[in-house]
Amino acid sequence: MPLTPRLAAPPGGVGRLAIQAGIAFALAMAAVGMIAFSAADAWVSSRIDASLRYHTAKYLAPPDGHAVADGELIARITDWQRRKVLSERTYLLFDRQGRRMAGRLDLMPPPPGLSDVHFYGGGRSTQTGRAIATQTPGGSLFVIVQHSEAAENLHALLPSVVLLISLVAVVMGVSATLLFARLTANRLLETQRAADAIAAGDLSRRIPTDRLDGMFAVQAQSLNRMLDRMAELVRAQQLFSSNLAHDLRTPLTRLRTLLAQGAQGRPVPFERAERECAAIIAIFDALLRLAEIETGQLPRAMAPLPLRPLIEDVADTMEPVLADHGGRLDVGRLDDVSITGDADLINQLLINLLENVATHTPAGTSARLSLERDGEGALITIRDDGPGLAAGDHARLVRPFERGAAAGDARGSGLGLAIAQAIVRFHQGRLELGDAAPGLEVRVRIPANEAFSAAASAAPAAA
Amino acid sequence: MYFRSPALHILVVEDDPVIADHILTGLHQHGYDATLARSGGEALAAFEPNAHDAIVLDRLLPDINGLVTLDRLRRKGSTVPVLILSALGSVNDRIEGLRVGADDYLTKPFDIDELAARLAAITRRNHSRPEGAMIEVGRLQLDPASHRASFREDALVLNRKQYSLLAHLMCNADRLVTRSMLLERVWAYRFSPTTNIVESNMSRLRAALLDLGCDPIETQRGAGYILRSERCL
Repeated sequence: MPLTPRLAAPPGGVGRLAIQAGIAFALAMAAVGMIAFSAADAWVSSRIDASLRYHTAKYLAPPDGHAVADGELIARITDWQRRKVLSERTYLLFDRQGRRMAGRLDLMPPPPGLSDVHFYGGGRSTQTGRAIATQTPGGSLFVIVQHSEAAENLHALLPSVVLLISLVAVVMGVSATLLFARLTANRLLETQRAADAIAAGDLSRRIPTDRLDGMFAVQAQSLNRMLDRMAELVRAQQLFSSNLAHDLRTPLTRLRTLLAQGAQGRPVPFERAERECAAIIAIFDALLRLAEIETGQLPRAMAPLPLRPLIEDVADTMEPVLADHGGRLDVGRLDDVSITGDADLINQLLINLLENVATHTPAGTSARLSLERDGEGALITIRDDGPGLAAGDHARLVRPFERGAAAGDARGSGLGLAIAQAIVRFHQGRLELGDAAPGLEVRVRIPANEAFSAAASAAPAAA
Repeated sequence: MYFRSPALHILVVEDDPVIADHILTGLHQHGYDATLARSGGEALAAFEPNAHDAIVLDRLLPDINGLVTLDRLRRKGSTVPVLILSALGSVNDRIEGLRVGADDYLTKPFDIDELAARLAAITRRNHSRPEGAMIEVGRLQLDPASHRASFREDALVLNRKQYSLLAHLMCNADRLVTRSMLLERVWAYRFSPTTNIVESNMSRLRAALLDLGCDPIETQRGAGYILRSERCL
């Protein structure tokens, strides 16, 4: 049996995962921060631009609709400067040659429309502002500059805020991952302990599910079900082996006794010795055949198989056998049904079941063989008028090496019904043992090969 | 014993000394000449197309395995009849053996009479019979179309199994046909039944033949049956 070496979890595995998750989380948060900031920035800018347009309109397009002359503009600007000492807004008027005619800001005339401008203000370093320049009807250039502290501060804040968000996100991501990994590891530890105990030989060990929740509980329950099934298979296998050993012991003991007779100088009944050998060989043949069918090692000779001619052939073959046993083999109703099957296996199935009648019932027992087509497919029935089975035997007898109470020392591999069961399963069918009162009724159901059956039942007129 | 033909020479390829000795002794008793090769290599070196009439070949050999040995023989163009004698007896194993070119396949443990009978069958020159033609041995006739058996003036119709049994025995008249050969060739069963299927059907057939006034089938105790042509006259 190949043993998988136990692998220790690579050291720092969870730590690396936590850092990766933290960085991914931080990048995501930084992106979110930048998007939020850009949106806020765009919104503030649009408000400033709208305000500039509004004030331009207020100066150049008065409500009464008269054309505003340069002299009037200069007067209003001068008046405004007198009233507002401190303001975010400044008004300027340039003549056609770009000379400043009004306003206090030291600025080169900007191009018409909206633009960003730089200027010296209040003796400080360069400042930035938003400007709107409009041509007056008189040909001069009217300019409004807005210098927004709020917008500038917002810009200055951006890198540090994004950095801070990222750092917080890294810390939160790493700790969340570490916590999650720890919680997961705690839950998996139960599974790991159970697996180790089973690997060490304790097949009855299961994963405790009382402290697990959610998907961990579901997974543990599913693993426990698998373990139950495997334990059942192992038990069946152990039972099979011990039954096999027991079944071989009987003919071997007889054989040894016969040989001992020879050693003591008495004549050895060679024919009896030969029979014991044949019994041992028969058990092994049946065992190999059973394994061959159950493990699906048989070459797939699955083909459309009309059952009626096959059953007629089996009836011809087994009729003399049952007659030699003192009984009869009657053939009942035979419908035309086809299955997808292996002819050799179906032959063995029917021969096995009829041989059971010939070997495990009192002399004179008769059997009736019939083939019907019902809703599910083919139904093959073998009914005998023997003593039948005890109530509890119906389920037990299809297991390997189980024998009916009435079988006594009847010969046989003890695998006949187990093989029959395996063959029926191989064909996706069901085998049922029932009480025929009196006698035993064996029913075999195998799904029909519909397309082929239909063709076969349409054809017989021509045949 | 049963074989009156000139001694056929068999090459036995078997590495187990006890089994090899058993086969050689048994084949001598059945009137064969037999030589032993203990490995595939030895067999390939010893084999001479004109000197050997058949080969009994084990599969599990110490050097080249039996199937490879057989494959090499067949590739060299040899058509010598080969019987594989092996402990590997699953349906797959058999199919594999026959596919490589074996003429028959017998599973260990085996009966020496069985081996001898099967060797006799594969070494016989097959004179093929036209399909559907009347089968005749002496005055016993069998019609494949109607399954009618007739002897002198009497006739009766056999059921399918009795017909196939008689046809097989008549085609192999005066040769031992074992029970397992009948199960394989008349019934095409690849499993071993636990009841006496062959015996029961054979006794039915013999009862029918007795009604015809002709009982040419002889039971060879523990081995099988021979249809004697001299009893069909």
